[in-house]
Amino acid sequence: MNESVKEQLESTFKAVVVTIPEDTQIVVNVKKDQVLPVLGFLKDRRFDHLALISCVDWIEEKEFELVYILARYMQGDEEHTYQERLNLIVKTRISRESPRLETVTGIFSNAEPYEREIHELFGISFESHPRLTPLFLERDYEIPPFRKDFDTRKYVSDVFDKIPFIQLEKE
Amino acid sequence: MDRNQITKWLKEPAKMANKYSLHAIYFCTGCGIIEVPPVITARWDAERFGIIPVATPRQANLFLITGYVSVKTLRAIIRTYEQMLEPKYAIGFGSCPINGGMYWDSYNTIKHLDKYIPIDGWIAGCMPRPEAIFIAVTHLWTLIDKDMANGYIRYRENYEFYRRNQEMVLGKLNWPPFYQIRDNVKAVENE
Repeated sequence: MNESVKEQLESTFKAVVVTIPEDTQIVVNVKKDQVLPVLGFLKDRRFDHLALISCVDWIEEKEFELVYILARYMQGDEEHTYQERLNLIVKTRISRESPRLETVTGIFSNAEPYEREIHELFGISFESHPRLTPLFLERDYEIPPFRKDFDTRKYVSDVFDKIPFIQLEKE
Repeated sequence: MDRNQITKWLKEPAKMANKYSLHAIYFCTGCGIIEVPPVITARWDAERFGIIPVATPRQANLFLITGYVSVKTLRAIIRTYEQMLEPKYAIGFGSCPINGGMYWDSYNTIKHLDKYIPIDGWIAGCMPRPEAIFIAVTHLWTLIDKDMANGYIRYRENYEFYRRNQEMVLGKLNWPPFYQIRDNVKAVENE
């Protein structure tokens, strides 16, 4: 099962690197312009559940790594063996200077909040995303707070520690 | 009824009635709220102490802040606190509202909740046991007896400072001041 997915991927796309670290995991490293075709290809082969989009900041290599984790919805009327419970991890790297990537909401519509979150916390802009508006944060940050060069201690001592304690009028 | 307290009941019946019927707002902040369901239900039964959870802040006079306070939650906490009925008491539960706790260098969690709303008492620990809530409540009774649980009075008298601190974190607040802002206090602050 693992091998057949690997063979299909390697025969269809030229520059993908497929590794199998565990029995139930397949890691696919792709170039940034191949993300959409690879995800569409995998969705057609019943990897129809986008579990998570995650982002890693490799500051020394000056790259962001986007990680898409795909799985299969269990069909209730079918018997599934352990081998069929695959997690498929698609990784791609983009440069840190101009972090832009095409959105995958056209293929997996549940990617919308994940991409908004990554946009807010890492500052990656997803092109042609339907609404790339703030999701969680209330304050404005000069550097998005999940990047490695964001100094949380400095930020806290500049903002929250500068707020004075209440001085009571009548003591 | 405790016979020793009869004189207190005759002297200040309103305060005594208030003291033994605290209505807690059921406001879920952070992880400490997991301690509250056993406290209010059969296992520890907070009604022994006259505490009952209510649905809206307009029926409540006890506010338990049970865990870390993010900037977004602070906005809701301020609005909830201002809607509650006087006399109102706020208790910080767990170490995060006291000084940040394990979120002491977080980019989005405020430390020191008493900079923004007045707190009458703290329960330290991460997490405190449910019994700690009852110990805090009995302490609160003592404070009410001695007129020391005066957070709402402090809020009224120092409202300019609280409002200034709130605006420093949340930016321009989109609701009007709860109390009147006195110009002379503001002027002193600007100098």
